[in-house]
Amino acid sequence: MTTVYLIRIRNFILFAMLQALVFSRIHLFGYATVYIYLLFLLKLPRHTSCNELLIWGFLLGLTVDMFGNTPGINAAAATVLAFTRNSVLENFIHKGNPDNLKPGVHTISWGGYMGYTIICMLIFNVVLYLLDLFSINYPLPLLISVASSTVLTMLFVVVTECFTRK
Amino acid sequence: MQTILNFLVRHNHWFLFIILEGISFMLIVRFNNYQSATFFTSTNGMAGGVYNFLSDIDNYFGLRSENEQLLEQNVSLIGEVTELKAQLKDLQAREAMMRDSVVCANISTGFIFNTASVVNNSLNAVNNFIVIDKGVADGVTSEMGVFDSKGVIGIIYLASNNYSLVLPLLNSKSNISCRVRGGNGFSSLQWDGADVRYSYLVDLPRHTVFERGDTVETSGFSSIFPKGVPVGRIDKIEDSVDGMFYRARVELFVDFASLNSVFIVGNDGHKEQNELESKIDGK
Repeated sequence: MTTVYLIRIRNFILFAMLQALVFSRIHLFGYATVYIYLLFLLKLPRHTSCNELLIWGFLLGLTVDMFGNTPGINAAAATVLAFTRNSVLENFIHKGNPDNLKPGVHTISWGGYMGYTIICMLIFNVVLYLLDLFSINYPLPLLISVASSTVLTMLFVVVTECFTRK
Repeated sequence: MQTILNFLVRHNHWFLFIILEGISFMLIVRFNNYQSATFFTSTNGMAGGVYNFLSDIDNYFGLRSENEQLLEQNVSLIGEVTELKAQLKDLQAREAMMRDSVVCANISTGFIFNTASVVNNSLNAVNNFIVIDKGVADGVTSEMGVFDSKGVIGIIYLASNNYSLVLPLLNSKSNISCRVRGGNGFSSLQWDGADVRYSYLVDLPRHTVFERGDTVETSGFSSIFPKGVPVGRIDKIEDSVDGMFYRARVELFVDFASLNSVFIVGNDGHKEQNELESKIDGK
């Protein structure tokens, strides 16, 4: 149990630093940004309680915010993602899957994993850019940002998945 | 109760979610300039809307007192209009009368009329003067009469090119020949230097028949004023110092404190008359 949490904290720091120090600084064409740190949340096992997910999500978002000088925005979006993750995941796995299932290509096929990731990314990006623009008066920039960021992040998700061990 | 508690416990992650989102939102609004500006501006807009709505309601309830106020205002305005109408009628009648008299005077005695505005006026001295804005260039010369719609003001004492100095009734040197309207005696009007509302007929003959309230007008003997320009109203009658004449206090019609437009009257035959008189004197 302790080992699990130590590994989780290590991953937490790894993802947070990767996001804060590398990916958050890239704004492709001024619209697209890769939010790879969400993989930490998406990879948590199926039976992770909602409260635990929420706390992980909030802290992760807050850490990224602290480095990115955007207090609250990532925290809010990541909390929303953490809140919805379990219900989204349930739609892509079978009843027979084990409780401690760790979402991935090898556990729930390419299609299921891609669908799960895309929907989560969309939820996160919509919330994030809504909070960033803080207005619904600019639907086009919002749409472009959400779509491009999701696509770009998915690219990195696929790459990561190709290199993970079975 | 049990079910409610169960429900709350089962959905405890909702509360955590709301708390975390609340914290995030507070952070967003507190530490991001753009978001906080937008948030507080829109909040202010909302507050403005609410206040607007409330003030609309407030105004609606204030309509009654507003109406009463308007009604009062209307009443006072109607009163004012009536009064002004009456004044207008009065003035029109007076003007018509004056025009008639002017025409008559012009035809009969060759008096010339002119108008002027008062540019300077003194009240407080024993020898007061008035300055008007017409002078020799406008055909005004000394020894012309000055009056306004209410009555006699004085006599032009000096005339420069564009201005004239008027010796008003309120000057101890002023001396105008007057008579009681409808009566038979005449006298000169002199000011005692005290009250600007009153002047005195100093040497009314004993045979004159008059009483308090009679109108005093110019006699026309001095040839400066035509006959019958109003001067004032007899206010008090007493004996002169030597007891040979009546001394009548006259309440002047003209309000010397509020002079504005005046008429000037000159006599074409003035010189001729003067010459004739001086011939008699010389004899």
